Amino acid sequence: MSEQKGIDKPAKKGGALGWVVFFGCALGVVVLGLLLSSVMERRAERKDAYLQMLLPISEFESDNSKWGVSFPREYNSWQLTQKSDEKTKYGGSAFRDILHESPNLVVMWAGYPFAKGYNQARGHYNAINDVTRSLRISEKTPGTCWTCKSPDVPRVMAKVGPAAFYASKFADNKAEIVNPIGCADCHDSKTMGLRISRPALIEAFQRQGKDVNKSSHQEMRSLVCAQCHVEYYFKGKKENYLTFPWDKGMKADNMDAYYKEKPHEDWKHAISGASMLKMQHPDFEIYNQGIHAYRGVSCADCHMPYKSEGGIKYTDHQVRSPLLNVSNSCGVCHRWPEKEIISRVESIQDKNREMLNTSEKNITLAHLEIGNAMKLGATDQELVEVRKLVSQAQMYWDYVAASNGMGFHAPQECARVLGKSNEIAMNCRLLTAQIRARHGATGPIQMPDIATKEKAQAFIKQFLPAPAAEKVLAPIKAEADKKGGPTTPP
Amino acid sequence: MRKLLDIVWMKHLPRPWSFVGRGLLGSFFGLFFVVAYVSNAASYLSDEPEACINCHIMNPEYVTWRHSSHARVANCNDCHVPHDSTWRKYFFKANDGLRHSALFTLRMERQVIEAIPESKEVIQQNCVRCHSATMARAGAPGHASEERTCIDCHREVPHGRVHSLSSTPNAALPPLKPVIPEWLLKETKK
Repeated sequence: MSEQKGIDKPAKKGGALGWVVFFGCALGVVVLGLLLSSVMERRAERKDAYLQMLLPISEFESDNSKWGVSFPREYNSWQLTQKSDEKTKYGGSAFRDILHESPNLVVMWAGYPFAKGYNQARGHYNAINDVTRSLRISEKTPGTCWTCKSPDVPRVMAKVGPAAFYASKFADNKAEIVNPIGCADCHDSKTMGLRISRPALIEAFQRQGKDVNKSSHQEMRSLVCAQCHVEYYFKGKKENYLTFPWDKGMKADNMDAYYKEKPHEDWKHAISGASMLKMQHPDFEIYNQGIHAYRGVSCADCHMPYKSEGGIKYTDHQVRSPLLNVSNSCGVCHRWPEKEIISRVESIQDKNREMLNTSEKNITLAHLEIGNAMKLGATDQELVEVRKLVSQAQMYWDYVAASNGMGFHAPQECARVLGKSNEIAMNCRLLTAQIRARHGATGPIQMPDIATKEKAQAFIKQFLPAPAAEKVLAPIKAEADKKGGPTTPP
Repeated sequence: MRKLLDIVWMKHLPRPWSFVGRGLLGSFFGLFFVVAYVSNAASYLSDEPEACINCHIMNPEYVTWRHSSHARVANCNDCHVPHDSTWRKYFFKANDGLRHSALFTLRMERQVIEAIPESKEVIQQNCVRCHSATMARAGAPGHASEERTCIDCHREVPHGRVHSLSSTPNAALPPLKPVIPEWLLKETKK
């Protein structure tokens, strides 16, 4: 009995203490639980407050207006890319007939569709209509040419696969591809985060052992542009597989080395018979060699700066030249008067234009002189070296000429590349002069009249085969023409 | 020390109560860990700007900073906490952080948040910390006597002039990590 009492006594005391501990801990758990649910609630708010989707968007939604329901500001500013009335000294969205401005290009591209028509690109909104109307599109044009023109492309590619898409013909896809470059090209439909929708960029990274999707947000703000604003080629005569020649690097010299290893010919030059390569707007590559890339400034920082509208700030989706929006783009970092900024940019561009002109003149002459050597009886064997040189010179020139920015994205690099282009062109002309002399030439060639686009086009006609009639595309093009956009300088 | 541990471990309690008590204490600690984990508490010790947007109220500040030229050279703490001593830095940060978390939890935040006087003082010190050379050149010390601060005139640096909780809808932000750890998500997806 006494033993039992001994146990009972502390048990009673402990009973009270036990309740205290019990309720104390329970209270603690309740408070912590409340805090936890508050934390979770506010976590959820972050999602709601920052992504208000009025209409769910499906994975491959290519209709830009459907995205516009939930994101009206971004959509409305994107719609402004339809405007084509803004002009900078060397760019902008206004109509600009580049062959008209530089008739030499007609000779440089003789035998290639670019000699038929080459205009300043208008804004993203006009992509579909403008590519359809382009004089460079023909029945032979592969489906690959659609790749960068529409958010319908990832949708179709998901269905048929990229390889089949590239192997198709341009006209085959006309019915499927209707929406111009827009939301789904860069955005994930669920998170609105940036995403890479085109396989060529993903593959180019893979070949270098990198995963493009592991890039930071700031890098993505350039990489989404790099899906299209890059140098590319169509690999394989039948496959036409869109490929970026980046395996050795992004400089002109690296690409030269790449193409030497993996020979590719875009066309045979109609006058000189050289095997030619066309560069296509290596904007991302050149930007990467400039000071802005070095400082971590992305494409979007200048071409899609932040914009205030009432009490709201958002990214301006009217992608355009920063020179048309200096205070919002350049002004963020460079606090100088707008006039001064523009004049500094233009002074860089003027120099680039001058170097381009020199190269263009010498490359044009090189083609004509090789053509003249052929007339004098020079054999293909004799001309192997000079044809290689003229092709190489034009490739270097095109690396700068085809890109947007008129040299501004990386001034020194552009000057270096153009210097190289000019040197190669001059070497070519020197060797050609020797060949011509061997075949009896005693002076310079007789210059044809190529002072205007029309005269130059009339001149190269004698070197070209008769054009084939276009049955399938003609009505499509006529319809696109009706939809509009200027075809002659305003 | 031993005695204290014994008390915490509830050794003096008789059988049922000591088990109940330990169980509750365990759940208390467990819950504490979960709260700390979900609220990303450890990140507050770092200088990462992402720590500031654990609360979405700071999103406009974060986004506008990231679009500004300051994003290349300065993070939130470079301007918003003192840097004259490490002790002061963390004291100020803890103080400010507790105030923020209390206001946030009690939903007392304003539509337009503004720097409090103590914060303004620190910001001013930090402007000077980096830009003293420029200020000497510009002859700005003259303003010091007028009790003007840099941001009185440079109002748009770096967050822009327009301020409110709703000023940056649809801003692209680094996504929050899911609460369930990634490896577990992968396991359950199998």
